[in-house]
Amino acid sequence: MTDIQIQAKDLSKVYVRGSEKIIAVNKITLEVDKGDFVSFIGPSGSGKTTLLHLLGCLDDPTSGELSIEGRTVVSDGKSLPESKLSPLRRKLFGYIFQKFYLIPTLTVKENILLPFAFHRKPGLAMTANEVAERLGLSKRLAHLPKELSGGEMQRVAIARAIINRPRILLADEPTGNLDSKRSEEISEILSDLNRSDGLTIILVTHNPKLATKAHRIIELQDGRII
Amino acid sequence: MIKRLVLLFLALSPFLAYAATGCDLNDPDRDVKRLFPTSTGYKTSYASIQKSGGKATLAAVEKALGDKFGGLYETIDAPYTIYTIYKGNSVIGYVHGVNQKGAYGGLQVFLALDTKGKITGFYYQKLSSKNAAKFKAAAFANQFTGLSLADFATLDIKTGKGTGKAALIKNPSTATDKDFLNTLRGVKKNLVLMNVFIYNK
Amino acid sequence: MPTISGIAYKNLRRKRIRSILTILGIALSTWVLVSLLGFNRGYENSLNKDIDNLGFQVLLTAKGCPYEAATLMLQGGQGLRYMPENTVDSLRADKEVEELTPMLMQTVFDPGKGEEGGVVGYLGIDPATYPKMKPYLTFREGKWFSGENSMEAVMGFESAELEQREVGDQILIPGKNVEVTVVGILNRSGTQDDGTIFMPYKSLQKIFGVQDKLTSVGIKLKKTANINAYEEKLYTIPDVQVVSIAQVKNTISNLVSTARVMVMSIAIIAILIAMVGVMNTILMSVWERFQEIGIMKSMGATTSHIFRLIWLETTILCLFGGIIGSLLSVVLAKATGALIRYILPYSPTGSLIRIDAPLVLESMGIILFIGLLSGIYPSLRAARIKPIEAIRSSEGEL
Ligand SMILES: Nc1ncnc2c1ncn2[C@@H]1O[C@H](COP(=O)(O)OP(=O)(O)OP(=O)(O)O)[C@@H](O)[C@H]1O
Ligand SMILES: [Mg+2]
Repeated sequence: MTDIQIQAKDLSKVYVRGSEKIIAVNKITLEVDKGDFVSFIGPSGSGKTTLLHLLGCLDDPTSGELSIEGRTVVSDGKSLPESKLSPLRRKLFGYIFQKFYLIPTLTVKENILLPFAFHRKPGLAMTANEVAERLGLSKRLAHLPKELSGGEMQRVAIARAIINRPRILLADEPTGNLDSKRSEEISEILSDLNRSDGLTIILVTHNPKLATKAHRIIELQDGRII
Repeated sequence: MIKRLVLLFLALSPFLAYAATGCDLNDPDRDVKRLFPTSTGYKTSYASIQKSGGKATLAAVEKALGDKFGGLYETIDAPYTIYTIYKGNSVIGYVHGVNQKGAYGGLQVFLALDTKGKITGFYYQKLSSKNAAKFKAAAFANQFTGLSLADFATLDIKTGKGTGKAALIKNPSTATDKDFLNTLRGVKKNLVLMNVFIYNK
Repeated sequence: MPTISGIAYKNLRRKRIRSILTILGIALSTWVLVSLLGFNRGYENSLNKDIDNLGFQVLLTAKGCPYEAATLMLQGGQGLRYMPENTVDSLRADKEVEELTPMLMQTVFDPGKGEEGGVVGYLGIDPATYPKMKPYLTFREGKWFSGENSMEAVMGFESAELEQREVGDQILIPGKNVEVTVVGILNRSGTQDDGTIFMPYKSLQKIFGVQDKLTSVGIKLKKTANINAYEEKLYTIPDVQVVSIAQVKNTISNLVSTARVMVMSIAIIAILIAMVGVMNTILMSVWERFQEIGIMKSMGATTSHIFRLIWLETTILCLFGGIIGSLLSVVLAKATGALIRYILPYSPTGSLIRIDAPLVLESMGIILFIGLLSGIYPSLRAARIKPIEAIRSSEGEL
């Protein structure tokens, strides 16, 4: 049995700005196994974020093929319609970004539980307390985001991303806004999620320490894997 | 046709509501010229007992008149219109009218006065009476000319008796006609008020 | 656990001042709307009551004769026409007539009234039937006449004031040298009756030498009667004209409808302004939360979730605004009535604005509907936000 979870073939993303063509992602072919921990590194502008968004079904490629858990998402450069993509994202993915995107009017607990306002995976979902416990947020549940440190905010964002038990966690420079100590904490958490929950993690980072936690490091340049 | 009637009706309702409580000259330009032929102009001003001292003044006025004030036209805030008559820049007299209850309706008793308070003219602007002609005759009106408040001071307006010159004024109508006494009351009230508003200010 | 409605509510609280101002705008529109709808009904109602107060639905007058004493006076006392008194008997024979009352108008020139004299009008009425038809005429002092031939008068409020008459005083009919005793003074009614001097019509006939003559007859029909058919019948009587109160009412309604259209346009403008206000508030809040909304979508919120979220915010604003506005309109009904009275060319007595529960609900429904309508566009815009746009848009920010 193959454990291939994400399969990309000749995936490209081209931005056209006036007469200028920017090839952000250039014919990338890539496979990610279930439970894998992959990190993308590379200079700024090399296409890491763009690739991550393509793999996470957040963005439409210009050409290529993409299938996730055997389901074809992009075929010959054509993505599924939004109405099909939306449930797919909800079921499979959790996202973390450099910015935390917490809702300022909601408490930590409410922020963590926000996905439940729209959807709750039957039987699979964790409770807020469980997640908070794991991420060391138990004492912070009643606070508002503005009362937290940056590291805590990112942990809330992670908690929110995993509460519905996604199968793939996508993280775009999750420590970009944090100092080295906080970054260490976050990278520990990600490793742990990968190790003990079997969560597939695809990570974009400039942080070499964080990158080395991954099983595989993929380096990009000018939209290609080198 | 109906529409016109309704419009009339609409036009009339505010008309009715504005039945004045003051006592104005019907045609001031013409009336002033008739009463003061040498006048060159006039100014209109408004006075009331309220504005001239209130309750204390009312009591003084009633004492001088020898009768209580009562009814719609004798309230403390009833407005009085005073016409000040000019010849060039100098004041030569006043015109002032009062409402007075009469036997068959309201009387409007107007006086023309000189700057000292002496009557130079007397006439009714409004009068309902069987003997209207006698009351409006010059023979009656002329008897007021030259009199002033002092002449009315002792006049009892309920009997027409007194010691001053005013007591000599003759009733032009029958002895039972109350409008003679009503007229005397109106004239005396007029003079008393003018004393308060102008001469004794 | 957060719910869509909870998120919506908390978001409105975040921008408190803005939400309050928007609610206030909606409240004002609701106030205007409720008041105007209430006015539409109250006005109709009061007008009908006023007309009923006239006591008779049909007034029969001699051809060319004005039908109110005050109108007659305004025309300088000219234009009196008569019909024979026995017209009343033939009218009474008709089964559709419930009651009728004969009237005789007379005018006289009073040389003592002002410098040039003036016209005084008298309305001769039948003490047996007239007071019953005009129950709203109430006395400030005194009562109706002691008999149908008595030399007595009842004075309208204004005319009594003008002549300083009280009960027991005399008035003089100028030129006739007839003394009449005042036996009653009416309360102010705001109608032409205030300026009228009433006398028994038989006495007037005698004084003015117009025996067996009338100027008009007021006719009250049975409830079952067909007014139009009856009026047609009246026209077969020679030398009369029929003044139908229904016609008068129509004319007044027409006069007022112009003003009503104006007032209604103001209402529509107020509502449009509120609508633009709502749209603006919601759109602003959508743009401010562009990223938030994108992230919600990335975590599973569907287009319809987001649409519902934003639409709910609109609903909450409109609901609060509507409730406050309705309360406002109920509390201020009197003041609003006075304001409208001031604007309108003619307004009936009685309460101009009638507000009740169904009306309030109806207006709130309208406001809610309009609010929701104006929420559709911002909600659609929000629902269409793509997560990728939201996330990309924040890159380059700190
Ligand atoms: N919306 C866009 N329109 C046009 N060009 C874009 C757009 N988004 C990204 N690009 C371009 O695509 C290329 C890849 O961008 P991308 O954000 O993937 O790089 P990155 O590796 O994530 O860089 P960084 O490390 O700075 O985040 C860049 O040259 C960028 O300018
Ligand atoms: Mg990037």
